Amino acid sequence: MSSTSQKHRNFVAEPMGEKPVTELAGVGEVLGKRLETAGFDKAYVVLGQFLVLKKEKELFQVWMKDTCSANSKQSSDCYQCLKDWCDEFL
Amino acid sequence: MADQVDSMSDAELRTKLAEHGFPIMPVTASTRKLLVKKLKLVLDGKSKPRMSVDNKIENRRSLARYSSGEESDLDASNAKDKRLGRRATTGGAMLPPSVSKTRRTPSKKESPAKRGSDKGSESDEEKSPIKSHEEVETVTTRRVTRTYAVNDQDGYETGSDSDLDADKKTSTPFRSNSRASDHISSSLTTDAQTSPLRTSIFSRPSVPGSSYTSNYSSSSDHLNSIRSRLGLTSTFDRPTTSYTSTFSSSHQPTASSVDEVESPYLSNFTRRLSTLKPEPPKPVTSYLDRDSTNGTTVQPRRSYITGASRSDYVDYKVANEKKFLKNNLVSLALVGLVVLFFFCLFFMYIVKKNDITSVVDDQNSVIPICDLQIPRNRPGINCVPKEQVSYAKDLMKLIHPEITARTAAYKCNQPGALPYLTEREILDIATAKAMTTDVSQCRTDLNNLQVLLIHNPRWGLNVVQLKNLYTKDVEYSPILSTDAIMPQRTKGTVAIALSDPSTPLTCLFVNTLYSAGSSIIVVGVLTALALGLQRFYKYYVSYKKRKNEEIYSMVEQIIDIISQETEDSGEPYISVDHVRDTLILPQNREKMAWVWDSAVKFIQRNESRVRMEVQSVDGEDCKVWRWVSSSPGSPKRSAAWQGQAFETQEGSVNNLTVSPTPCLKIRNMFDKNTSNPNLRNVIEDAILEKCGDKCNILHIDIERSSCCVYVKCATPTDAGVVYRSLHGWWYEGKLITVKYLHLDRYMQRFPNSPAVGPYLKLSRQRRLWEESRA
Repeated sequence: MSSTSQKHRNFVAEPMGEKPVTELAGVGEVLGKRLETAGFDKAYVVLGQFLVLKKEKELFQVWMKDTCSANSKQSSDCYQCLKDWCDEFL
Repeated sequence: MADQVDSMSDAELRTKLAEHGFPIMPVTASTRKLLVKKLKLVLDGKSKPRMSVDNKIENRRSLARYSSGEESDLDASNAKDKRLGRRATTGGAMLPPSVSKTRRTPSKKESPAKRGSDKGSESDEEKSPIKSHEEVETVTTRRVTRTYAVNDQDGYETGSDSDLDADKKTSTPFRSNSRASDHISSSLTTDAQTSPLRTSIFSRPSVPGSSYTSNYSSSSDHLNSIRSRLGLTSTFDRPTTSYTSTFSSSHQPTASSVDEVESPYLSNFTRRLSTLKPEPPKPVTSYLDRDSTNGTTVQPRRSYITGASRSDYVDYKVANEKKFLKNNLVSLALVGLVVLFFFCLFFMYIVKKNDITSVVDDQNSVIPICDLQIPRNRPGINCVPKEQVSYAKDLMKLIHPEITARTAAYKCNQPGALPYLTEREILDIATAKAMTTDVSQCRTDLNNLQVLLIHNPRWGLNVVQLKNLYTKDVEYSPILSTDAIMPQRTKGTVAIALSDPSTPLTCLFVNTLYSAGSSIIVVGVLTALALGLQRFYKYYVSYKKRKNEEIYSMVEQIIDIISQETEDSGEPYISVDHVRDTLILPQNREKMAWVWDSAVKFIQRNESRVRMEVQSVDGEDCKVWRWVSSSPGSPKRSAAWQGQAFETQEGSVNNLTVSPTPCLKIRNMFDKNTSNPNLRNVIEDAILEKCGDKCNILHIDIERSSCCVYVKCATPTDAGVVYRSLHGWWYEGKLITVKYLHLDRYMQRFPNSPAVGPYLKLSRQRRLWEESRA
């Protein structure tokens, strides 16, 4: 991975607090909508799922695909974003 | 299987996944589906390969565990079959097969073990397949069935053999068993030298003079240990076909077949043993050594065995080679064909050069014989007298090598070499070779030869006309008709050259090398040049960058100092020299002069906040920098909040004494037609910046349609703070108004708004911006 997106850097830069799910890298408006309807309205809820899946990339990506039909790029971005956040703050 | 997975309980699912090597993770409503899917995938996709791997590992394990005799049924029966086959054939040479068969069948259990040790010993000592074969059988028998073992040992010592021994004795009637056991121990000793693994085991048999029985037992121990290390499941792939009446030959196939078997289960030890095989002299010499140390052994027998083992070894080797040839026949043949092809090519190439005689003597050559009846025929000019043809040919054969050598020399760029022979030179050669002393005779022959050459271009020589006789330039053109010869002959510019001069191989090589070398040098020089340029450019760029950085940092320092000093001292300007003296240490001033100058120039050109002017300081005119930054009022406040329209402080008429609710509605903070997608963050930041550090705000949201901003604070008191600090302020040219809002109304509108902390804080960019300003 050469570089990360601005969104990624913004997210990883600080505690996620009450950030909405759309603040996650790889999650845009559409995916955010889908995630919200699935009950994942905040970034920390997604983080919870991420942690429940024990930070496993493969499983998390499959979950993203199932929940909001994210493509591999989006889910991989989201995974990386959460992982970096965890490395930083957890 | 998939249905089962679907109906599994959470716990089952977890254990199942754990079985397949996945980390145990909580099975929740959200993960369950995922895990089920995963498990299905694993069960469907990976089940087969996994199983096979497991089997293989299992096999290996069982082999390692059971190698001492109790192998699986399959292996045992397999081995038994093979064993019987071999036994039957060996017996065929020596004794009736029926006997051996009846004897061997009951000992089912020992067969794999026997095979194991067979292999071990035979790959152990290739020079003595005779005894090892025999010996191993007795040894294994002894190990597996104790009664046999006792019998054997008794047999060895007393000479009265048991049934089993009788069988072996008949097959090798010329050698005693005790003798064999001794031999095996000694040979194993030699083996110990090559395999350090075993040294401790073998140290005992190497003691000279020890009794045969002790040797025997130790060697049998050793064999057992070998056998326990060998997991042999492979089968003898080659039926023993070439049994003859001699003992040694009857053993070859066994040895070679053992050798040829490529068993995947061979232990490292076995592999190493088999790699040791192709060293022929070692075993023989060690065998002899052993004889010399055990000097008390019976002489005639020893010599016999030595001889036998040698011949046997040779036979074995031959058989091995035969086998090798047979197995690799096709590939060897292919390689051979290729080699042959290239050899032929090379040969043809060589021959082509030196076949001048055959070409000349060819019947197809055009030879214009002088016929005296035709008046136009003139000998030596356009025809050759019949009797002089052979002379001309001889002359040609004489000069051909000389011309070839000259051409080669010329092609090799030797100085002064010319690729042709002039007539005079030819005559000199001819007379020097003493073919004839008569120069005129030579002259005639030469003329005839020239005519012949013109008529026969195939001969590879051309009569050429030199362009310039006296220079060293190699310019000539071939003469193609006999008519043209005469005038040239008188001028003496006729010569003979090779028609298609080919460069000799060595010369070609040298030339190629030379040109390649020169081009390499050129390329190298160019590359070095390019690299140097690149490096220089890089260095230049980095140097420039460094300089620029220095200048920029200097500029920043200068601006810092100017703003600081002007603020501190209250004077709106500061002397340039003073700044310089503050920034740069006295010892560096000379060195840093250019940095300073550049920085000053930079500030003059590109810094709008600093103006350079001349002021009189203490009665002296000097250059000063004037700090012309924005209004000194409150630089930290963002420009968005432009001031208050009316008083909202405590006691003012506009201020409510008690804050009724924690919720506020702010009007008029933005236009309806604002299209900034980030508006919410901007507004949030603006509010937080204005009053974020004095109160706790839980939630801020905007409603674009009504141009309202909704704020929810932690307590009504906080809401009062916000009210007072926002109400009646100008924000971006708009006067904003704040009203309290009932909490239930607020919750109606924003049901998701949080009821407790964390409180909102400035977003990161804003904070950074603030910090950079501070």
